Amino acid sequence: MSSIPHDHAAGHEHEHAHHPGGIMRWIMTTNHKDIGTLYLWFSFIMFIAGGIMALTIRAELFQPGLQLVEPEFFNQLNTVHGLIMIFGAIMPAAVGFANWQVPMMIGAPDMAFGRLNNWSFWLLPFAGLLLLGSFLSPGGAPSAGWTLYPPLSVQAGMGMDMTIFAVHIMGASSIMGSINIITTILNMRAPGMTLMKMPLFVWTWLITAYLLIAVMPVLAGSVTMLLTDRHFGTSFFNAAGGGDPVLFQHVFWFFGHPEVYIMILPAFGIVSTVIPAFARKPLFGYASMVYATASIAILSFMVWAHHMFTVGMPAAGQLFFMYATMLIAVPTGVKVFNWLATMWKGSMTFETPMLFAIGFIFLFTMGGFTGLVLAIVPVDIPLHDTYYVVAHFHYVLVAGSLFAFFAGIYYWLPKWTGRMYDETLGKWHFWTSFIFFNITFFPMHFLGLAGMPRRVPDYATQFTDWNVVASIGAFGFGLSQLLLLIAVLKTIRSGAPAAARPWDGADTLEWTLPSPAPYHTFETPPVVK
Amino acid sequence: MTSHAAEPMRPDARTARRRAANLRTATILLSIAAVFFCGIIVAQYSDTPAVAIGILGLAIIGFLGVTIGRNVGRRERQ
Repeated sequence: MSSIPHDHAAGHEHEHAHHPGGIMRWIMTTNHKDIGTLYLWFSFIMFIAGGIMALTIRAELFQPGLQLVEPEFFNQLNTVHGLIMIFGAIMPAAVGFANWQVPMMIGAPDMAFGRLNNWSFWLLPFAGLLLLGSFLSPGGAPSAGWTLYPPLSVQAGMGMDMTIFAVHIMGASSIMGSINIITTILNMRAPGMTLMKMPLFVWTWLITAYLLIAVMPVLAGSVTMLLTDRHFGTSFFNAAGGGDPVLFQHVFWFFGHPEVYIMILPAFGIVSTVIPAFARKPLFGYASMVYATASIAILSFMVWAHHMFTVGMPAAGQLFFMYATMLIAVPTGVKVFNWLATMWKGSMTFETPMLFAIGFIFLFTMGGFTGLVLAIVPVDIPLHDTYYVVAHFHYVLVAGSLFAFFAGIYYWLPKWTGRMYDETLGKWHFWTSFIFFNITFFPMHFLGLAGMPRRVPDYATQFTDWNVVASIGAFGFGLSQLLLLIAVLKTIRSGAPAAARPWDGADTLEWTLPSPAPYHTFETPPVVK
Repeated sequence: MTSHAAEPMRPDARTARRRAANLRTATILLSIAAVFFCGIIVAQYSDTPAVAIGILGLAIIGFLGVTIGRNVGRRERQ
């Protein structure tokens, strides 16, 4: 994409437009920027809640034996930590970015359906409360793991019902949000903004939204069947009535694996936006990035059973899913290559967004490699349900999604707030996060290879040393995230005023707007040439 | 990429046309979600649920392939 000159004309017309104030502004708002802000703060609160659960888990695992919590409560923490982080933190954060950025990047005045957008967000706090409130229900929160496998999920107490309803609500919210995003991108682009001129972040979100439309109903359907098994005498998954618990695993992972890409594709989009800006070069291989993203999305539907190699599937099935999983490395490799090629001979500077983007590439690639290891059936079978898997998916989802979101926050914060963040604080946030993340999760590879199973509150003493290291790292990583909160609050309160385009290499439409972006933008659509 | 303010269109006509297009797109997407939701449940009542789920899965992959392919192909016309 070629660069754009500064042009502040578009969007200036309503810079001082009247909008409601007070609490009602946030409850009733249909403005994409307000709703984006709500999503991002909600996801941060959920991130802290899920993080506190993770730290309790790590505190319990600091040494062998039972110290802090009962095993049943430990399992509940494990389950709700996963659900909160996936459905409450990462997905809403990605939608928050989409709300803020997609309309501005395509030159649209707002999302296609403002009221639907408002509803999509305001369903989430109730779902979050249901999930967290399940701890207070008789029998406590669900303890079957975030995958909700039967028979445990069929036999669990009222907390499981609350979780199923929460999943339904979050699923409805995601589907509504996806419909809104797809409609906005397809129908509301500025004149001249062809699909192949769209910023890659918009492309990744378009494909992510299609994935959501395809798989969230499948999850909703499967947990609905779980609910009817629990209360209405059906036997979809209840072996006692002739049902098949393994069928649930197939249906769940048909949702679950694309879900991984739902969490990572928007992160790819952010990194593909940040790296060209700080390398001061156009993104290398734009078209191949689009096709690679679409390929990853389509392949993600063909690999679900690699999560289930140990259920006793035929060798032909194992081979198919093994090779299909390995195939995903090809488009993913294209992306990593293109990011590196974009940096090659670029005039790079290393502000906080770029540091997080480079950290993302490094750590996500490591997570990708361990994914390839786990794709190999004879290797996966002994490593299944060990800490090696825990290390793998945290490298993909924490160092992947989360680091990219941090990059996006620091990159767009000047546009959102009109103020620059504290670069020193941002760099401290990056380096402490990067170091403590590796201290936490790298030893888990060793624990897994040595055979330590996941989801256990106690372990053999031979695993003690690396668990101590991981727990220390986890507390360091958790505390590091307070630096993000401090950096954001400091920016809002006292950051230096930001220029309309604070990054030299930023060339997408939002940077033609003043900082902070006016409440209403692009009411007269810009023409993109 | 260059950005200029476009010639203003008649706002009523533009808004009405865009709203109709938006509703059309949303209805199609919502109906797809509804079919997938019902399909995964109805598939369980088939004599061969594995085949039924396989058909649904292929439909989902086909849907993704067609929609993404159409969008990419449409750029030629734009």
